[in-house]
Amino acid sequence: MTSMNRPEFYQRLAEILDVEEVKAEDRLKNFDEWDSLSVLSVLAMADSKYGVAIRAEEIRSVVTAADLAGLVEAKQE
Amino acid sequence: MGFIQAQGSFFKNEARDRRSSGCSNDANMKCIFRNKRINAILSVVPAQQSRFDDERSNYNLTEEKAGRMKKMMGLDRHRVAPPGVCSSDLCVYGLQQLLNEGTLKKEEIGALLFVSQTPDYYLPPTSNVIQGRLGLGHDVICLDLNQGCAGFVIGLMQAFMLLDMMDAGKVVLLNGDTASKLVDKHNRVTYPLIGDAGSVTVIERCAEENAIHLCLKMDGSRHRALIVPGGAFRLPSSPETLKLAEAEEGVVQSLEQIHMDGAAVFNFTLEDVPPQIEEVLSYSGNSKESIDYFLFHQPNQFILKQMADKMKIPQEKLPNNIVGIYGNSSSVSIPVNITHNCGKQLRNGALRVCLSGFGVGLTWSSMVMNLGPLATCQTVDYEAA
Repeated sequence: MTSMNRPEFYQRLAEILDVEEVKAEDRLKNFDEWDSLSVLSVLAMADSKYGVAIRAEEIRSVVTAADLAGLVEAKQE
Repeated sequence: MGFIQAQGSFFKNEARDRRSSGCSNDANMKCIFRNKRINAILSVVPAQQSRFDDERSNYNLTEEKAGRMKKMMGLDRHRVAPPGVCSSDLCVYGLQQLLNEGTLKKEEIGALLFVSQTPDYYLPPTSNVIQGRLGLGHDVICLDLNQGCAGFVIGLMQAFMLLDMMDAGKVVLLNGDTASKLVDKHNRVTYPLIGDAGSVTVIERCAEENAIHLCLKMDGSRHRALIVPGGAFRLPSSPETLKLAEAEEGVVQSLEQIHMDGAAVFNFTLEDVPPQIEEVLSYSGNSKESIDYFLFHQPNQFILKQMADKMKIPQEKLPNNIVGIYGNSSSVSIPVNITHNCGKQLRNGALRVCLSGFGVGLTWSSMVMNLGPLATCQTVDYEAA
């Protein structure tokens, strides 16, 4: 497992949300595809690419893409 | 579990030394079973089929979102028992077929195990009801086991233990679940995934050692991750527990239906199951390459693909197609996976397989064994008499 490269993380998030680009300050709830399916995809991505398990409650408390990246990073440490 | 070690080998009188079945003494629950084999597996599914595309309007899903869900979870169609058809009916149908075709004789049955979460009654045990319906002898041991997704592997464990103790006879393991009766058809989280099914597995002694390895873990502190909260005795049935409420859009449920914490179950499956697979492989002296098939419980295609990737198992060795053909039938999903995907191979030859069931409890159990050739290994449709 590699430590996080933020642009790469945002790109992975963009693929899950089926958009061109995700910026650090973007609010996740503003994406059409931010729903229970994409949450599962994020859990899977966090596990397979970063080796961490995020809980659903933790994801619910996240507001922006940067918050989500921070959550994954914090778990890696 | 220690009593298994106390059981002498059934074959102790034979010249060759065969050790008895036994469990290890370390903290991990690991067991070896010897001189036992599966003789036949028959899966029974209701003939009635329901298609996700036709159900979409029940879930308030946009076409786009339904499409994503269908693709990600691998949904297409599933089998749903009509009203009045219980798990036991599917199992009796299968057992009757094995008796009719001569694969099994009534007098060979020493024990009847019924694994289900959808019994006929609170009491008596459904296994007794089935014994009576089939006119089996009074010497047949009847036992019901309340187990879900891990219920096939746990049922096999119980069957092997019984074979160690019984004087003679075979064990018939019945797995049956009609989860369609525990979910609302307006619940997009549960209804599209579930499927109803029953299976009959015949387990017998054999002269060859045929060592079977099992690793088993349980974590009751997470029992709420998959639960029917009401309708039993902790929260008895009342107008309140029967009331349907929309938890979120497209998720309608009552307290007497299955509640699933999807993310918790997902994390459990990815975190706890792969290490157990590694453990049972090394315990049984196998590598991923020496296993022909990883025949797992079938919750949905997405999680099974994630598991295969995580464990670096080729997708073709870990089938994930059952949920989109029959639906997830809880403890019956492994037998359905076996009969649908490996029926022909197992009727004609043998395979080394790794079975794994994980879910309700939470419970996770994995087993490595040589399977086949089997007298019967097929999937049949249930047609009401």
